[in-house]
Formats: sequence, structure tokens, C-alpha cells
Amino acid sequence: MALVSLEVVGKTYRGRSGAYEAVRDFSLELAEGEFFCLLGTSGCGKTTVLNMLAGFEAPTAGRITLDGRPVSKPAAERGVVFQGTDSLYDWLNARDNIAFGLRLAGVGRAERRAVAERFLALVGLAGAGDKHPAELSGGMKQRIQIARALANNPRMLLMDEPFGALDAMTRNILQAELTRIWQEARKTVLFITHDIEEACALATRIGVMKRGPGGTLKTVVPVDLPFPRDRTSDAFMAIFRHVHAAIREEIVAV
Amino acid sequence: MRERVKIVAGYLAGFALLFLVWHLAAVFVVKSALFPSPIPVFVRAQWLIEENILQEQVWASLRRILQGFALGTALGIPIGLAIGSFKPVRVLLEPWTEFFRFIPAVAMITVAVIWFGIGEESKIFLIAYTTIFVIIISTAAGVGAVERNKIRAAQALGASRFQVFALVALPATVPFILTGMRLAMANSFVTIVAAELIASNDGLGKMLWDARLFMEINDIFVALVALGLLGFATDRCFRLAIRAFAGRYNPTM
Repeated sequence: MALVSLEVVGKTYRGRSGAYEAVRDFSLELAEGEFFCLLGTSGCGKTTVLNMLAGFEAPTAGRITLDGRPVSKPAAERGVVFQGTDSLYDWLNARDNIAFGLRLAGVGRAERRAVAERFLALVGLAGAGDKHPAELSGGMKQRIQIARALANNPRMLLMDEPFGALDAMTRNILQAELTRIWQEARKTVLFITHDIEEACALATRIGVMKRGPGGTLKTVVPVDLPFPRDRTSDAFMAIFRHVHAAIREEIVAV
Repeated sequence: MRERVKIVAGYLAGFALLFLVWHLAAVFVVKSALFPSPIPVFVRAQWLIEENILQEQVWASLRRILQGFALGTALGIPIGLAIGSFKPVRVLLEPWTEFFRFIPAVAMITVAVIWFGIGEESKIFLIAYTTIFVIIISTAAGVGAVERNKIRAAQALGASRFQVFALVALPATVPFILTGMRLAMANSFVTIVAAELIASNDGLGKMLWDARLFMEINDIFVALVALGLLGFATDRCFRLAIRAFAGRYNPTM
């Protein structure tokens, strides 16, 4: 059975200027342990899909379930990594940011510290536990966000263009790190991006979305390549071209 | 440490320059008995300090400010948090805050004296009054300014509504509260002097008024310098507090 299931999910925003259908008839099943990249142009509704799965926004049509139970509000079983770094708590150091979920759950100080140190090491920031977010670079902050989500031991990880604001070098490094972390942590990941190469490098499957409004899943491309991936290999290029062609129709059509 | 020494030295030089300009203006430009140079003012201040008079007046004013300020802050923070957190509370209380905010404390001196007399109560009421609305508004604004992703991140980590409030909204609001307190402290100085000028038995405002009655021009300047130095000192304390609580994670504070 699928871990996550979205069944003909839709989301329509009603505002003063009328209704806007962001997502229409979106159906997808995610298997335990897979790394699914949702790829689409800006405004296609991909972030809306993630927000609904996170429970931040309620779908106006269809059904979302995790382990067969309906998703209605945010919960610790669905960890989120945000695009910006403003979700980190400036008044807490890196260690306390990572252990925040454990603190919410009432875990004792010593255990929180031990878990935080373990996840600091996992994301390659051992020794940076005492630093505050203001003292960390953009890439380091995203590592802290990933560690914070994982330290809470969620069933799945939702990542909303987490590397979108980083420079190309840092992004490449973090992509490789994320693959390693995903393989170690064995979590199901839904990863939102508009970067085709990023999707091809990370995903076990890539879902390409139609452009908005009324964004929906256009096609799903399996990526059966071993990790770590060689971005210059013919197999990688073939998948890149395939996905590129699918997304290009959505760009040209604008 | 070197940085701190530099700052203190800079401040001292700044004050020295202020008194030098004052001296030059009094001796060479104005040349009037109504504008004394700092030298007779300091001589007078020294006498007032030796007689323990200046300390009494400073302490009378400062005590009122601290008491009224503490009361206004203690009431203002929870009200501001409630207004910032709950829309019905905001809609209900905004007419209050927006109404009283525009009736300055100075205008309330009249009713304060009628209600509470010219003793401590009226001063504490006025300082609390001038403090509370600034605190309410800055606290409420702080709650409203918490980034949505900070709240969503906590929710996705399993936070209850109360945990979101206590562990995210509240700490994120602290810098706003401290800034509001700093502004309210400046208002308190305006208010205490006005209140003491009009209705008081002691304090720096009373000292100013008496000096005007008896044409003790040096006393006026002693009181003015005392107010300036007192204000400068309290504001430094706030700056240090804000930096200690907030600056560590927010270098712009």
C-alpha cells in the first residue's frame, strides 16, 4: 500500500477578485522510502500541493491520506523544510533549533542534546551547535532546517525548493549531501523544485506539472539511475532531455 | 573590550564638546545673566549635591517613572499579546487604544490631579497611562510580524496552539516589546516633568518651576542637565538590555 495518497485533489482560492483554481484533479501515490521530485514552472501549484500535504492548507476537493489516515492539519509525522531560512528560530542556537520538535514533545534536556548532536553530525555541522542562525551561511541554515525536520523522526519529509535561494556551488554540494542523508535516514521525500537538473540528480521519480492555473500532474518519469549520479553520463542526459521536453511545452505555451 | 573603551571615550568627548559649546555660547555670544555658562551651573550643582537636595529631586522623579513604567509595562504586554493574537480582541480593543493614544498624558494631568491628588498616585497613573499604549501597540505589532514560516515550522514539528504562542510568537516578539519600552521611557520623561511642573511637592519638574518663580537661573540649568543625563543613562540601559536579549541573534538591533 502507498504511504501517501492524493486522490483528485483540488484547491481553489476565493478572494475579493474572484476565484483562483491553483490545483485541479491532482492524483499521486508515494511509496515508502522514495524520493519524489515535483517539478513545475512558477505558479503551477506545486507549493500548494506541498502545503496541502503538510496540512497548512485544506484541499477544496479530493482526499489526502498518509498511512490510510486523512491529512487535515500539520503534524509531527510530516516534517517540512521551507524555501527561505526565516523559519529558523533566531533566538535559539543551532542545537536548540534542531531539538525544537523534541522539546515540544517533552523530551528531556540530555536526550535532546544527544539527538541534536547526532543530527548536526548527519548534516555535516558537527561543532556548530552553539551558533545562532544569524552567524550561519544560507547553506548552513538549510542544513539546520533539514536536521530539525529529521530529528523529529517524521514519516516523511516535505521540501519546498530548499536550495532555491542558494548559489550554484552550494546547491550542488547540498544536493549531494541530501542524497547521502536520504540514504542514511531512509525517509520518504516529496521535493519541490523548478530546476530540472536538480530533479534528475535527486529523484527516484519526477512528476512534471502542467502550468497553472488549475495545475495538475502531467507525467511521471521514473529515474532508475544509481546514486551518486554522474550528471554527464548518457543515461542522465537522456532523462534530462525527456523531462526538459515535458516542461518545455509548459514554458513555450505561455 | 577595546571597542567599549572607544565608545565611552567618544561619549565623554561628546559631552565635553557639548559643555564647551555651551560655555562659548554663554560667554561670547549671548552674554546674558539669563543664560549662565556651565561653570556656575556646576558650582551650583555641587552645592545642591552636597546638601543632598539634587539627589532627592532626581530620586523623586525617577521613582515615579520606574513605578508607573513598571505598571504600564506589566499591563501593556499581556494586552498587546492578546490584541496581536486574537482578532476579536483586536477589534474590541482597537477603539480603546486608538482613542486614548491621541489623548496625551499631559492632557490627563487635570483629571489625574482631581482623582488622585498631587501625591504619588497621580504621577504613577500618568506615567502608566503614557507607557501602556506604546507598549500595547508595539507588542501587538510584534506578534503580527512573526513570520508565517516560523509558526508553520512549529506546527509541522507537532506544536500545539499554546506551544506556538509560548515558544514561537512570544520570543519573536521580545525585541518589539523592548523597543516599545524604550520609546515609552522617553514619553515618561515628558510626562513626569509636565506633571511635576503643574502639581507636585518635589521632583525635577517642581525644581524647575520653583527656580523660575525665584529666578534661580542656575537651578533651572541644573535640573535640565540632570534630566538630560538621567535620560541618557536610562536609554543606555535599554540599549544594553536590548542587545543582551535580542542583539545576540539579531545583529541589527
